[in-house]
Amino acid sequence: MNTEILVISEFVSVALALILVRFFVKAYRLVRSAYLLGLPIGFSFLASSYFFLGISLLYEDGVAVSDSFLWFRLIAQSFGFALVAFAYYFSSKTERATKYILGLITFASVISILLVLVALIVVPPFLEIPCVNVLDEYFRITNLVFLGYVIYHLVKHLKPSNGPTSGFVWAPSAFSLMWLAQYSLLIWGIDGSQAAFIFAHIARLVSLILFIRIYYQSGRARE
Amino acid sequence: MKLQKRSKLRIYFDVLKILREELNQNGHPSLTRVAHGANLPYDRFRNCLEHLIQVGMVSRGDEKLIVTDKGCEFIQEFERITDFLERMGL
Repeated sequence: MNTEILVISEFVSVALALILVRFFVKAYRLVRSAYLLGLPIGFSFLASSYFFLGISLLYEDGVAVSDSFLWFRLIAQSFGFALVAFAYYFSSKTERATKYILGLITFASVISILLVLVALIVVPPFLEIPCVNVLDEYFRITNLVFLGYVIYHLVKHLKPSNGPTSGFVWAPSAFSLMWLAQYSLLIWGIDGSQAAFIFAHIARLVSLILFIRIYYQSGRARE
Repeated sequence: MKLQKRSKLRIYFDVLKILREELNQNGHPSLTRVAHGANLPYDRFRNCLEHLIQVGMVSRGDEKLIVTDKGCEFIQEFERITDFLERMGL
């Protein structure tokens, strides 16, 4: 796939993810439930992961710089998916449980930032760290687990009794596309399939567009 | 079953929505009925109402309370966000 197209797709993903962050911040400001913080922070991390992938593609010639950005992307992406999964996990817990989430999110943020700093500054000069692509697969498997939990939660809590349900199918569909995107990248990492690579980028873009669609469909008469 | 504590904005939304429904049904809302509908003690309801008047979501005109355009926009936005969260499975 052409590098320019890839870079554009990354920056379009950044823009879409930031639009979603804005929606979730709005939702948090209105509802003020602590668990909702997981979504804007999670999608911010996802946006930053797309941004760092875009930047790493721009600096492809400088391997060290490119690898540093790829490390940042790996951690930011997994942390983003973890936060989204946390938000869903705690959505069905009592308000008391959510008090711990803020602490958890803050703690996890600090840890992730430290990890990124270690990956960017400390590790490369002293050690020949394993190629980022080797660990990429483990991170992808972690992402698949987090996204799998979100899909399971959504399907479990689907409310067929609330009249027409088609409006409630979009969120599981969007998360399933995200899951497929991660899975395709895992396949691409193993066998280098270009079709899987292209599908992953398309699936991710479509999933982000679907989330935005859900927002604009909300408040209207349900389909 | 333990009831979940409502956020301040949720309370304002409930008051505005019931006030608007009362206005549409009866033309002249009974404050006691609005307080009851919003599940608030009367003194807290009065404080809430004063705040809504201060921020321009409710106005007093000819001894009658009116939900302003700003209030209606708030109701619409709140409904959209709660529907969005519901559709997101949250």
